[in-house]
Amino acid sequence: MPLEFRKEYFADERDDDLNEIGKPTQRQDMVGHVTGRSPFYDDHLFDGLCHIRCTRSPHHHAKIRRIDTSAAERMPGVRRIITGKDVPNNLNTLLSLLDFGLDDEPLLATEKVCYKGDPVAAVVADTERQAREAAAAVRVDYEVLPHVLDVEEAIKPGAPSISKPYPGNLFVYHGKYDHQKLRFGDVEAGFREADHVIEGRYQMSPIEQAPIETCGAIAAPETNDRFVCYTSTQALFFSLGTAAKLLDISSARLHFIGGTVGGGFGGKVDSLHEPMAILGTILTGRPCKYMFDRAEEMQVGAPRGAERWYITDGVMNDGRLVARKLVGYFDAGAYTRLSSYAIIKGVGHLPGPYTIPNVYSDVYCVFTNRTPATAMRGFGVTGVDFAIESHMDVCAREIGLDPVAYRIINSYRDGDMKAHRRVAKNTALIECCQVAAEKAGVKLSPSLLAASSLKDGGGVRGEIPNYTATDQHGRVEGYSSGSYAQGGQSREPVETGRAAPPRPGHETPRAPAPAARTEPASQTPAAARRDPPPPPATPRPPEPAPAPERAAPRRGPRFSSISGLRRR
Amino acid sequence: MPLTVETYPTLSEAARAFAAARAARFMGGGTILMRAVNEADQSFDTLIRTTDRAMTEIRTTGSAVTLGAGVTMASIAASRDTAFLAPVARLIGGPQVRAAATVAGNLFAAAPYGDLTAALMALGATAEMTDGRRQSIDDLIRGGPTRSLVAAVHVPVPQGGLHFRKVSRIKPKGVSVLSVAAVLPRQGGRIENARIVFNGMGARPVRAEAAERALNGQALGASAIAAAAAHAAEGLSPRDDAIATAWYRREVAGVHLRRLLEDIR
Repeated sequence: MPLEFRKEYFADERDDDLNEIGKPTQRQDMVGHVTGRSPFYDDHLFDGLCHIRCTRSPHHHAKIRRIDTSAAERMPGVRRIITGKDVPNNLNTLLSLLDFGLDDEPLLATEKVCYKGDPVAAVVADTERQAREAAAAVRVDYEVLPHVLDVEEAIKPGAPSISKPYPGNLFVYHGKYDHQKLRFGDVEAGFREADHVIEGRYQMSPIEQAPIETCGAIAAPETNDRFVCYTSTQALFFSLGTAAKLLDISSARLHFIGGTVGGGFGGKVDSLHEPMAILGTILTGRPCKYMFDRAEEMQVGAPRGAERWYITDGVMNDGRLVARKLVGYFDAGAYTRLSSYAIIKGVGHLPGPYTIPNVYSDVYCVFTNRTPATAMRGFGVTGVDFAIESHMDVCAREIGLDPVAYRIINSYRDGDMKAHRRVAKNTALIECCQVAAEKAGVKLSPSLLAASSLKDGGGVRGEIPNYTATDQHGRVEGYSSGSYAQGGQSREPVETGRAAPPRPGHETPRAPAPAARTEPASQTPAAARRDPPPPPATPRPPEPAPAPERAAPRRGPRFSSISGLRRR
Repeated sequence: MPLTVETYPTLSEAARAFAAARAARFMGGGTILMRAVNEADQSFDTLIRTTDRAMTEIRTTGSAVTLGAGVTMASIAASRDTAFLAPVARLIGGPQVRAAATVAGNLFAAAPYGDLTAALMALGATAEMTDGRRQSIDDLIRGGPTRSLVAAVHVPVPQGGLHFRKVSRIKPKGVSVLSVAAVLPRQGGRIENARIVFNGMGARPVRAEAAERALNGQALGASAIAAAAAHAAEGLSPRDDAIATAWYRREVAGVHLRRLLEDIR
């Protein structure tokens, strides 16, 4: 089988008169890298450069009773000790720039620390050693609070509340739900119909991006009351906007210079080095450098968040997937950063590249007393794909099919309806599986070899189910849905006090019934599940009385929206 | 608190200065200490070092080798006198670390470092202090921090060789999940006075006494090996760290001891 099916399958998608691909074009930054001339932010040195080091929390969760900086202030070389009260607008969330989510993260903690390494004070000193010594001399009186490090522990009633804006330790989506929902068809009916109901639990660890160049920034006063900032950020305008917001300063007064990034992988999207370096410059009038050392990069640099997935699949004896239920918990760490967005992205990816007539998914963004998580390489999708594909293997084994064959049977084809109500097109998973099987020496049956993503799709498979089981599970009150969902409205909660919203009334565990189990498990289906005879050729089960909720699927222009609620 | 560096021409002068200064550290190769310097460790304000040439000498005296405290891993790997220790030295760090890391530095390095120390313990080496005392490496590291310096280490050349196995996740430069050093003198085909030392199975290198008991008086056969492996972690208390959990170490200690013993057979 030819590997070159790009032209065939993406004919209407891609321009084949490519000027670059397949040609030996030199990357524009290559010469600089190999000759050692590429300028990184740390190469910009200034006369009288000051260094910033932070005093960090040794506790996972603690109330700050008192910060005593007097001894540190008297130490040689110390120019200034910065605490939370010096930050003009000491509360932020990265996606506030897109009006998504509530501000929950201070630049420097004032009331309490929420993870080990949470910065409490920053020292500006003439040398790095002086800054480190003074940072070690800042005395912080903590009242240690109970902490929680596990996502499901964090949402149990009575768990310590970490984040003031989200007292239930769950991010609130669209002002309505404590999780991101996906409902397509009736998953319970699907399970009743299925020959096998197979459950699994999958857990990922956090992963540190570990760039060779640690995160940091150098700021210096510029003319006309402006500040220049050389930074390692991989998202220059996010950083610019964040700095302007935290420092309550016009972005016109900030001159950000990015460029060469010594490794990013997502970890340099939301570091808060720029506002700290600029604040140091504002308060001392001196150029300031704030840079993680390697230990900080590993301990407090935001990693890929850990994810836990419970997947329950309803599978027929012939290998057809008829229902899939996914309950996911993203460990956001102490503050939101990009986890809430990762979930929106992840749910848009569910239930994986497979056509399944009944899909149910609840995905929770959970706050714990761990290092705040952020982006890393395909975040929101990588973890769930690991879970889904592992579970596909488990299911294939359970029903005695080859995993590749099992995937081909369930792969979506052009014209199929995906669970988030977009029509699949330019799908080529079947062809990928066929090539992979050939390379791996897996024998496929003639019918599977003849399968194609270009045929057998659409039709009934391209329709939105007549009936979709919906629910109000996880509904919360007291939050404004915000402009990201409704356009132009205030983002603030309706109540003035953010602690006021009642705890989301969720029942725990919300995972599939055997949530407490820790191992992927398969079940012999209950007798009831065997009741319905094998369905007709079409994988879509007959549904109860039609109660059309919306019009037939529409094909519109492609767009991208993190809320997923923009109208076409 | 500025950092001062004091350099002395002789070890005895350095030792006196070290004994007198409470907030001082003695600097050997600096592979661990310089990291603390870079992180502005507040526990010391003075670095003491010496340029004494005796520190870097390797001398053979009868059936023992004397290593100056400042002999580096690279020197051990290169010297003909220390051929029996060279395989261990070559497993420590990369070339840069081996060029700097010293024998005495390894004695006081916290876990997971200390692979050479495990080998020295297995060999029954003794340390000569600057005050003239001599004590076994076991006693030295069990005794905790001391204000006198190690001048040299006397290492008996083993009959039948030193057997060493390092287990690391990253090869060849990774730090040890654990390492095993074994010296198994045999008399009439039976092991006598076995010395088996684990590094990574505690805060410091430790003798695996249960495994030694299982081997003593036995020929190195399948049953003796199985018994030693079964008792490998007995009485030891490994720790959780970033490299492995205590549970994992306890589980695999016997496996690696068994492999090492099977290789000797």
